[in-house]
Amino acid sequence: MNLALFIPELTLAVFALLVILLDLFTEQKRLLVQVSVSGLVISAGVTLAMWGESFPAIFNNMLAVDNFALFFKLLLLGVAFLVILASISYTQKFARFQGEYYALVLLSTLGMMLMAATTDLIAIYIALELTSLSLYALVGFLKDSKSTESSLKYLLLGAIASVVLLYGMALIFGFTGQTQLGEIARVIQAMSPQTILSFPALTLGLVMLITGFGFKIAAVPFQMWVPDVYEGAPTPITAYLSVASKAAGFALILRVFFSAFGLPEWLSLNWGIIFAFLAVIGMTLGNIAAIPQTNIKRMLGYSSIAQAGYLLVGMAAMGFSPVVDILGRSSIIFFLTSYALTNMGAFIAIIAISNKLDSDLIDDYTGIGKRAPLVALALTLCLVSLIGMPPAAGFMAKFYIFSAAVRSNLLWLVIIAVINSVISAYYYLRVVNVMWLGKAASEEKISSPGTLRLGLVLSCLGVLLLGIIPGFAMLLAEFAARIFVF
Amino acid sequence: MITPQFIWLIFLLPVFSFIIISFFVRPFVKAESRITGYILITALFTVLALSIWTLLSVMAAPHHEIPVPDINWVVIEGGVTIHLGLIADSLTAVMLIVVTLVSLMVQIYSQGYMHGDPGYHRYFAWMSLFTASMLGLVLADNLLFLFVFWELVGLCSYLLIGFWFHKPEAADAAKKAFIVTRLGDFGFLAGILLLYLNTSTFDIHELHKLAITGALASAILTWSAIGIFAGAVGKSAQFPLHIWLPDAMEGPTPVSALIHAATMVAAGVFLVARMFPLFEHSTEALTTVAVIGGVTAIFAASMGLVMNDIKRVLAYSTVSQLGYMMLGLGVGGVAIGIFHLFNHAFFKALLFLGAGSINHATGTFDMRLMGGLRRVMPWTYATFVIASLSIAGIWPLSGFWSKDEIVVSTASQPVLFSLAMITVFMTSFYMFRAVFITFGGDYRGGSQNEHGGHGSRPHESPKVMVTPMVVLAILAVVSGLWNVTGHFGTFMGHGQTHSFTYGFFHPFTQPLPWISLILAGLGILLAYAMYSKQWLSPEKTGNFFKPLYTLFYRKYWFDELYENIIVRVALVKGLFGSLKQFDNQVVDGAINGVARGTIAGGRAVRRAQTGQLQLYGLFIGIGILALVLVLYFAG
Amino acid sequence: MLNNLGLEHYLVLSAILFAIGLYGTLAKRNAIIILMCIELMLNAVNITLVAFSRYVTPELLTGQIFAIFVIIVAAAEIAMGVAIILAIYRGIESIDATKINLMKW
Repeated sequence: MNLALFIPELTLAVFALLVILLDLFTEQKRLLVQVSVSGLVISAGVTLAMWGESFPAIFNNMLAVDNFALFFKLLLLGVAFLVILASISYTQKFARFQGEYYALVLLSTLGMMLMAATTDLIAIYIALELTSLSLYALVGFLKDSKSTESSLKYLLLGAIASVVLLYGMALIFGFTGQTQLGEIARVIQAMSPQTILSFPALTLGLVMLITGFGFKIAAVPFQMWVPDVYEGAPTPITAYLSVASKAAGFALILRVFFSAFGLPEWLSLNWGIIFAFLAVIGMTLGNIAAIPQTNIKRMLGYSSIAQAGYLLVGMAAMGFSPVVDILGRSSIIFFLTSYALTNMGAFIAIIAISNKLDSDLIDDYTGIGKRAPLVALALTLCLVSLIGMPPAAGFMAKFYIFSAAVRSNLLWLVIIAVINSVISAYYYLRVVNVMWLGKAASEEKISSPGTLRLGLVLSCLGVLLLGIIPGFAMLLAEFAARIFVF
Repeated sequence: MITPQFIWLIFLLPVFSFIIISFFVRPFVKAESRITGYILITALFTVLALSIWTLLSVMAAPHHEIPVPDINWVVIEGGVTIHLGLIADSLTAVMLIVVTLVSLMVQIYSQGYMHGDPGYHRYFAWMSLFTASMLGLVLADNLLFLFVFWELVGLCSYLLIGFWFHKPEAADAAKKAFIVTRLGDFGFLAGILLLYLNTSTFDIHELHKLAITGALASAILTWSAIGIFAGAVGKSAQFPLHIWLPDAMEGPTPVSALIHAATMVAAGVFLVARMFPLFEHSTEALTTVAVIGGVTAIFAASMGLVMNDIKRVLAYSTVSQLGYMMLGLGVGGVAIGIFHLFNHAFFKALLFLGAGSINHATGTFDMRLMGGLRRVMPWTYATFVIASLSIAGIWPLSGFWSKDEIVVSTASQPVLFSLAMITVFMTSFYMFRAVFITFGGDYRGGSQNEHGGHGSRPHESPKVMVTPMVVLAILAVVSGLWNVTGHFGTFMGHGQTHSFTYGFFHPFTQPLPWISLILAGLGILLAYAMYSKQWLSPEKTGNFFKPLYTLFYRKYWFDELYENIIVRVALVKGLFGSLKQFDNQVVDGAINGVARGTIAGGRAVRRAQTGQLQLYGLFIGIGILALVLVLYFAG
Repeated sequence: MLNNLGLEHYLVLSAILFAIGLYGTLAKRNAIIILMCIELMLNAVNITLVAFSRYVTPELLTGQIFAIFVIIVAAAEIAMGVAIILAIYRGIESIDATKINLMKW
């Protein structure tokens, strides 16, 4: 085994501890940011150096070091970087605990990176819990009543979901006698369909796995925690939850369902149906419930539920695809990347505005276009991308996912998704409308700190680049979609 | 020989400039910094060099075209593949020179003109985006991307006309320009779709081939050509969609020079030239182009006769000259129309820059408040006069050469010929009317309120503004010489070449150039008589031709026609009224019902979110059951 | 009688335990009891894991190892949970899960 392949994860762990230690000794809290960011940069650098080559799995086939894992690691590190950028001005609210805050962000990133790489049920569980435990703490970090409440809700529901997931894992383990995904696949493929169907263990196990993962990615009906937690959590953490946690969750789902349950075809068709069902109710419910929202964080919570629905269309396309088809996977990867940039941009803009307004209510955003034109422009771009209109990334992302679905003969699903996109335009454009056409309560300009502006610029640039020249990113995504099964 | 990478760079450099300015400079650099201007100017310098290189390479290339390999923009294996490609032929090469040269001059000028404006960075960001889109437009090799860039230049035009959006007139003008050009774009889009449905290609070369071989013919060809021409009518402000251009003068003057004189408004002419094989194979379409062009030329010129705002005179002059180009395309072909576009870009940009320079000194655009500027602004005066002589078509300035060709090619069609001739007279009259009122006589005070009012004494503009004007003035003199030998024509695929001396003096052996020269001279003379020497009182003349004067001055009541009859009566009362009825009774029931249902659904769904975490947990349990059921029934 | 004890018995036992735990988490009001019920569910899973390991792969210890990991992670989770419940208690002087509904709709 080559421990060098584990350096990205090790770096993050070391730097997380370093941040905690440093916090004890220094009054210079800026230093903590610098250390955390350098941890991310080093980790990303090492990951980048590994890109493109093929490595054996490490830790007895428990962690894959394939392009898929590397891509997601880079994506997650990038998101964590943006989250830290967004947090710098926000952490003034809890100045005393900055060390713990940044350390927890790094640790949860570590957990998510592991989620993208694990190929063994045990390791999956550990990675999931490492992520979740850090996030529970981060969600409650404001220590006011809303934040604590959302933390408790997240923890208790998360615990239920992870118990269900575990039960599912236990059933699958019992059915196959294996915990390694590739081995599971081999056992299943060796069995006849009659054998598999005569025991409910595998299908029940699958349903429970989907439940556990569905909780992470906010798939309806396991999404109930989302609006409450999004509203209560510190805004950078909301952004983090909505983006990184979802990306890592999808990475996990992709890998598990591709490498363990991708074949035989009738099995993949079965989970394809489940995902199609989840996609339909996810999109519809998320979009419909977002319409009457008054709090923008909560609205984006519902929006992220809807976006998870679009992503599940891609999963369904994967399940239904008659041949092993790379477009389903690569379109999900592309969508996740575009969604990560878009949502980070939107949340950073919200932080920039809400910091000054001290309100998350959409009505208070009236006339922001005049008071903070650049931020409002960036937020508009991100909302346009969330609707899925050109030239933003969201358009291409939906285009790819829907084409994958059409190729898997899921035209009906695409039609529902398109109708949903139209519905979603209503609540996104309402914010745009309020920002630009409403009359501002005051004329005072809103200035935002440089770190937030940098974060905004980076995400908006990404959104535009992915939207205008998607070909390059799609090539990367296709490259990343080659999941290695062993 | 230029390589495709460098041709791509022509388009990409302004894009980079836009990205750098809007993503890195504007958010992080103070508004006082002038770095944005330098970024764009540097980019444009490089682009200009590349454009010249492209032009030389295209001239040397066989068939005057350099093949540029396509780049895959979107690829879905076994599904859709959309290519992104460029054309580098003679038409593109000429347009590249026009766009980059004028844009560069205008940006240098803007360094002085926009100095100290709080929107300095924003200005250069939009200018970069505009230049990039305009270059994209002339380089695009398929109609889909051409349309995208077409809309982008329209968007930039909107943003730049409304640059001083706090002024209500500017905001209104921006809106008007956007909406009116959109009308034409519907036609353009319809034309593109019609072509696509019948040929299933957007590729311009393919379409040319189909039109030339006759595979695409008859009504489809005509209607799609007319649809495309509708887009050109909107963008090039041709009759009857000309009304937006004079109002567009509310934008900063360099914007007017670049977008509303030299480049974007000429995009319509370019479009017709680009799709010319389609027009060529449809007599109806080509006749439409020529007639609309001729009518616009005289129609706009007549309104230019009586305007008091110098930029509006120039605006009507632009509309009129664009009509001339269309006429040239319609009767003479690509070479003649584009040659006029080429020359016009320089002298008209120069005229606008001159107007901006005057405004910088006097603080107004109203010619009645100017006067006597000849002495205080010698450079502006000299360049302005050169440009005016050029546009009036005086031998041997550039305007003469291209206008002469248009006039000559109309000779066989008496109606169009007389339109062209009258326009020649009007053009020289309104231009020299402007020259004499503005620069002659005594100074009449100017204005202190508006942009650039620097005290009561007018003065020459700074070097950074004068230099580009001088460069453009030189071009306004010499650019026409390109076709004296007929080389421009052969470059575009028409006619033959001859010696320079022969070409240079040849016009004097023909009757037509004499007529147009005499008419132009008469125009100047009349202007001199009325506005310099006051032999004829303008008021009395105006009163004598009272009905005509009023007709021109009120712009043929076109604004009122659109505003009152079309918008208020036809649209609001008629169409919208009936639509409202329809809306109230039918749509309300259906669409609004659905919308209300959705919103009500939202409220209902929201109620399920009680905040009780155990209920949420229950939903997880229900979810598991639901999934099992789904599997049981559907799996 | 005892000799007839097979895999099914363990699985049924764990399923019953799991169901009891689930019922508790959804029905009990006291947040601490909810945590305990979650613990119950986790242990039900552990029984399943060990039983499967014993009957399906008797020569390997995969299931047992898995169970040990679950126990460790569960401990951490409970620690988190109790800390958060304490924070809630400081705020509203109650740990009644039904009263924790500041955010809804």
